Amino acid sequence: MSDRPEPDRAARDEIERTLLDWMEEDAPATDPERFERLALALFRFQFAACPAYARLCLSLDRTPDEVERVEEIPPVPTGAFKEFALRCFPEADTAKIFRTSGTSVDRRGELHLDTLVLYEASLLASLRRSFLPGLVGSAPEMRFLAPSPEEAPDSSLTHMFEILRRAEGDPASGYDLRDGHLDLAALEHAADRARRDDRPLVIAGTSFAFVHFLDDPKTEGEGRWQLPVGSRVMETGGFKGRSRSVPRDVLRSDIARRFGIDERAVVNQYGMTELGSQFYDSTLVDPDGPRRKQGPPWARVRFVDPESGLDVAPGEVGMIVIHDLANTGSIAAIQTADLGRAIRDEAGHEIGFDVIGREEGAEARGCSIATDVMLEASRQEAGP
Amino acid sequence: MSRLEIDWPDEGAERVRAAEGRLRVAGEALARRHFDERLAAVAGVLEDWTGADSPWRRELAAALPEETPFAAPTIAEGLESALRAWHPSDFIACAEREIAGACVDGRRALVPFDWTTVIAGGALPMPTLLQSLLPLVVGSPVLLRETRKDPVTARLLARSLAERDEGLAAAFEPIAFPSDDAVALDAALAAPCVVATGADETLASIADRLRPTQRFVGYGHRFSIGVLGPALGEADMADVASGLALDVARWDQSGCLSPVFVYLVGWDGQDARRFATVLDRALEDVAKTSPRGDLPMDQSVSIAQERSEARMRTAAGSGMLFEGAQHTLVLEPDARPRPAPLGRFLRLLLIDSVDALMRALQPFSGQLSNVCVAGFEAPTGPGPADGLSPAPSTEGTFDARPADSSFFAALSRMGVSRVTKPGSLQTPPIDWPHDGLPLFLPLARFTDPFVAGRRLV
Repeated sequence: MSDRPEPDRAARDEIERTLLDWMEEDAPATDPERFERLALALFRFQFAACPAYARLCLSLDRTPDEVERVEEIPPVPTGAFKEFALRCFPEADTAKIFRTSGTSVDRRGELHLDTLVLYEASLLASLRRSFLPGLVGSAPEMRFLAPSPEEAPDSSLTHMFEILRRAEGDPASGYDLRDGHLDLAALEHAADRARRDDRPLVIAGTSFAFVHFLDDPKTEGEGRWQLPVGSRVMETGGFKGRSRSVPRDVLRSDIARRFGIDERAVVNQYGMTELGSQFYDSTLVDPDGPRRKQGPPWARVRFVDPESGLDVAPGEVGMIVIHDLANTGSIAAIQTADLGRAIRDEAGHEIGFDVIGREEGAEARGCSIATDVMLEASRQEAGP
Repeated sequence: MSRLEIDWPDEGAERVRAAEGRLRVAGEALARRHFDERLAAVAGVLEDWTGADSPWRRELAAALPEETPFAAPTIAEGLESALRAWHPSDFIACAEREIAGACVDGRRALVPFDWTTVIAGGALPMPTLLQSLLPLVVGSPVLLRETRKDPVTARLLARSLAERDEGLAAAFEPIAFPSDDAVALDAALAAPCVVATGADETLASIADRLRPTQRFVGYGHRFSIGVLGPALGEADMADVASGLALDVARWDQSGCLSPVFVYLVGWDGQDARRFATVLDRALEDVAKTSPRGDLPMDQSVSIAQERSEARMRTAAGSGMLFEGAQHTLVLEPDARPRPAPLGRFLRLLLIDSVDALMRALQPFSGQLSNVCVAGFEAPTGPGPADGLSPAPSTEGTFDARPADSSFFAALSRMGVSRVTKPGSLQTPPIDWPHDGLPLFLPLARFTDPFVAGRRLV
C-alpha cells in the first residue's frame, strides 16, 4: 500500500465543519457544486484512511488522483460491512459501533464511528424536515415500537429514535416493544392522553412491529386508537426472513385506518445501518405531490446498471448507490442491494425516488434460493 | 355506447369444478384398468418423450424460449440431457417395485384416489412432466395447475397423452388460474391427493388449506453442492471442471439440482487457484453452446453485490474472483456460507477435512438435494449407507468417494437424496428419490382386502 497517502485528519475536520454548517442551515438546500467538492475531498481522505477501501479502489484503478466526478467514486457493497472494519480512524478511537442483525452463521454488518456529532446532526435534520413538519419545538409525545437503548444498545434505529426523543419528544415519550412483545397498554394510554389533551401523537417503529400491532386481535375496537389531527406514523425496515410480508401500500392504509389519520401522515423511512443519513416519504412535506423518497442534500442517490455500474437513463430502474457525506468516519459511497428509480417533476427536475420491491424477483430465482432463506432464517433465530 | 362488463369472480373455480367432474368420470375408467396396463400405457407416453429425436421434446424445446427466460440452445440441451436420462424401463421397474411389490402377496390392494391435484412450480419442465404422469400409473386422474412460468409443458403433455391413449388423455387436465384466485385454488385443493412444488412458505400455505384426511406430497426448495477431495489429479481437473460447468449452466442454475457451492476438501491454495482457473475457462466454454438467458434486474443486483464483496476480499489478498460475461466464479478463503445469487454464480469453498465439511453443512441440513463428488480414493470398506445409492444403475459407475462410507451416511442424514459425479447433477435417473421420497408410493392408497380370510376387493 505504498501508493496510498497518509490520511489527512485536518482535511476530514474541515469537511465535517462544512457539513455541520450545511446541516444547521434553516432549510438545507441542494447544492451540487458544494456536494461534488466535499464528496471528492472525502473520497481522498477515505482512500488514505481505510486500507480495505483503498485496496478496492486500487484494484479498480480508481484513485483520488484519477477520479474527477462523484460517479467515479467506487462504492462498497453493504455486505462488505460484515467482513471488513470500514473505519477511517484508529480502532482505539471507536466511540460507537452499530450492528445489523446476524448470527454465528452469518456475520453482522458494523458501522464504526469515532464521533456521533455529524451522525446525529444529519439524522435530526432529516427527521425535523421530513417527519416533524409543524411539530418541531412543540415536544409531542412519541411512542416507539422498537426496543429501548438499554435493550438494543447497538441498534442504529433505536439510537435514532432516542436522539429524536431527546431532541423533540415530550418527557413522557418511550418505547413500547419489550423483550420482543408490544406493550399495547402503554401505547393505548398514550393514545388516550393524546385525545384528552388534543395533542398530536408521534409513533415510529419497525414495519414488522406495526404488522404485529395490526394483527393482534386485542387492538381491535372502533375509535380506540383514533389519534388527534397532526399525529403521524413512521415505519421502517422490510420483511426479509419474516414469516409474513405485507405490501407497503397495504400496511400504510391499514395503519392510517387503525389510527384514524390521513394516509399522507404515514411515512416510510428508507435507511440502513451502514448509512448516516436516511430517506423519508415526501407526503408530510409535500402532501399534494406524488409520494416519493427524499433525503438530505448531503446524500446523493444514484441508480446504476448492476452490470456496468453506470447510471441508468433518467426514470429507468437501477441498483441504488448512495453517496452519503455524513459517513465521514466510514465509507461515503455505498452500493445497496435495492432497486430504485428517480422521480421527476413535469419540468424534468429530479424530486425524489422510489424504492422498488424485490419480492417477485426473489420468487423467480427458484429452488436454490433456499441458501438465502437458510442464512436469513439463521439470522432471525439468533436475532433480538 | 357503453360496454357492459360482467364481473365473474368464480370463473376460475367453476373451471376447476367442471374439470373435477370430468376427471372423476375418467378416473373411474382409469381405475378399472389393470395396473400393468396403466403402467405400460404411461411408460409408452414416457417413451414418446424420452426416445431419440422425440417430436414432443423438439416441440417443447421450440416453444419454451418464448415463455421462459432461458436461451433456446440451453433449453434444448437441458431437455435432451434430462429426458434422455429417463429410461422407461427404470420407470416400469420402479413402479413394479413400489406398487406391485407392495401388493405382491395379495394382502394389500391399491385403491386410487378419485383425483389428484398437482400444483406445478418453477420454470423447469421435467418436474411438471413427471408429476403429471405418476398419479396416472396408480390410477388417479390429474388436475394440473400450471405454473405461470411455464404455460407450455402441461398442454403439450396433454396432446401427447391424447395421441397415445384416449383414456389417459381424459384423465389429465391442465388448468391455469391467477395466483391470487383463492377460490379457484381452494376448489383445486379439494382433491383427496395434492402434490405441490414450491418454496417452504408456499407448501405451508397449501398444507394449511387442506384437511388432515387429505394426502399431501410437497416438494420444497433445495439446492445442490459439489464436493471435491484432495485426490483429484491434475489430469482429471479438466473433466471435473467441464462437468461442473455443465451442471451450473443447465437451466442457468435455477433448479434444486443446480450446484451453488463446491467444497474443496483438503486442497492447498495453489491447487485450488489452478482448479479455479480451469473451471473459469470451462464456464466460459459452456456458455458458447449454452448461453445464459436474461436475468431479472433483482438477480443482476444480487450478483453485482456478491461480485463487489468478492472483489474486496480479493483485493485484500483473500480469495479470487473470476468475472465472466455470463458467469461468476469465486474462490473463497473459507467455507463460511454466503448468499447464492444464482444466474451461473458459483463459489469454491476451501475446507480442511470431511469432518469440517459436515460441520459446515449442518446449517443446511434438510435443504440439500444432490451432491456431486470427485477426487476421493475408492472406498475400501463397506458400501454406502442404506438408503443412499451413489451409483444408480443407469448413471454409470462412479468410483470417486471418500474411503469412509460414513461420509455418505452423514450426507443422507442431512437429507441428501442422491450422490453422483460432476456433470450428472442435472440429469438424475427417473427413479431418483426426489426429496428422499419413493416415486409412486406417496401417491398411492392401499387397503387390506381381506375380511375373515375372504378377499373383498
